[in-house]
Amino acid sequence: MRTSPDAQELLSIVADTFRTDLLPHIPPAQRYTALMIANALGIVQRELAGVDEAGHAMLAALALLYGEDADDSLSGADLRQRVEALQHRLCIEIAAGDFDHEGQDVLMECLEEIVQARLGIANPKLLRG
Amino acid sequence: MGALIDGESRPRLESWLAGATGATRVAVADEGTLGGGAISLNLAVTLDIDGGPQAGRHACVLRAQPGGGAAASGMKASISKAQEYAVLRAAFGAGVAAPEPIAACGDPAVLGADFYIMRRAEGIGAGHKVVKADQPQRALARELGRQLGRLHKAGPDTPGLEGLPMPAASPALDCVHAYRDWLGDLALRDAVLAWGLRWLEIHAPPPGELVLCHRDYRTGNYLVKDGGLTAILDWEFAGFSDPMEDLGWFCARSWRFGRHDREAGGLAGREDFYAGYEETSGRRVDPQAVAYWETAAYMRWAAIAVLQGRRHTSGEEPSLELALTGRMLPEIELDLLRHIHGLGLRASAPAAVGAEPSGDADEERVA
Repeated sequence: MRTSPDAQELLSIVADTFRTDLLPHIPPAQRYTALMIANALGIVQRELAGVDEAGHAMLAALALLYGEDADDSLSGADLRQRVEALQHRLCIEIAAGDFDHEGQDVLMECLEEIVQARLGIANPKLLRG
Repeated sequence: MGALIDGESRPRLESWLAGATGATRVAVADEGTLGGGAISLNLAVTLDIDGGPQAGRHACVLRAQPGGGAAASGMKASISKAQEYAVLRAAFGAGVAAPEPIAACGDPAVLGADFYIMRRAEGIGAGHKVVKADQPQRALARELGRQLGRLHKAGPDTPGLEGLPMPAASPALDCVHAYRDWLGDLALRDAVLAWGLRWLEIHAPPPGELVLCHRDYRTGNYLVKDGGLTAILDWEFAGFSDPMEDLGWFCARSWRFGRHDREAGGLAGREDFYAGYEETSGRRVDPQAVAYWETAAYMRWAAIAVLQGRRHTSGEEPSLELALTGRMLPEIELDLLRHIHGLGLRASAPAAVGAEPSGDADEERVA
């Protein structure tokens, strides 16, 4: 059963109302806290809306190294586990020195893609233009 | 933290202070908490001292270790308040613009927490305000270089610093071990952090000279009044390390508060900061070593952000600011990768400016 408005819709109007109706009237002493709340609401909104998209981007980035097809059918917990498993494998290989002498270009490209995907949720203002 | 100074503890504090300052009587007025204490508690106090060498009225800061002991803090990198006081004395004695140390107390019977008292300095500390200037603040950058050079004259042989831990292997590898420890299993789950740690291991410089480092020497941790430096704060991470560690930290993108065109702390170009450092330290700046320590800076900041986030998620200290600091990780990782990339290419990347308030904007700090 789907409730309407759903969590995302509710959150969206909460965030908008907070920014439009409350933020301009917050006294200076509390403004920083209010801005932190607005920032946190934005992160939650983006994560709810885009966590799978970010997961697919990370999977595609890891496919640069592991050549496996970035399975578009995965979603939710399955997708997250797949990304986590591949990242764990990569961490172990990095720590073992597998990239000390070669493969750094592809590794850097992969890592940059992973960070871009996570920034899309945490702080999209910093995404490359 | 509840009130550190209340009707019950005030007389204990006053009589202890009278003894510590050789006075006949001391009255303490508590003027409330000061900002900028993500880890320590800073209270503004005014001391009225009758008799003794320090008779008179003194605007001071009482800096306490919440939770009572050195190990109680969730922040593994910080030293105890007694050690911090020793560092402050060494720095002040070396002519560094550290707040003047007044007295330290390790007796839990007085306030229930380790604390010390130092003279209060005036000025603006918030990074985004300090970097706000039409022209580069070259004189300030140079002065901060000079100050750091003076601090780095102190080392393991400096009297009073015997209690500070010595790095086990090399300062660089010691740092890598510490970051790995702080990150915990995240070092095996986050490939960017794994690569940062590995990069630091492969490129670690051999052990060299050990000096007293501030280890949080950056814009946001000093006070400025009328464009001039008044005090260098936040000594709780100080320790012996490679002198270039402090320079790399100071110049990291994380502490430019959006002024990425002014690489020395958002103030001016590196050349002014380096020149000031060379004037007083008696040693040359090694840009390659600074670049290594700048990589270390991003890793250290990433690990600290993770620890801060954990202080919130563990339930130990629920805080929106700590929670958001934990969420800064991708941003710090972006800076890390950009820096490593730049070292490979020696090309300058276009600056991305993020104005979103986060957990570390220090906006409220006016000490």
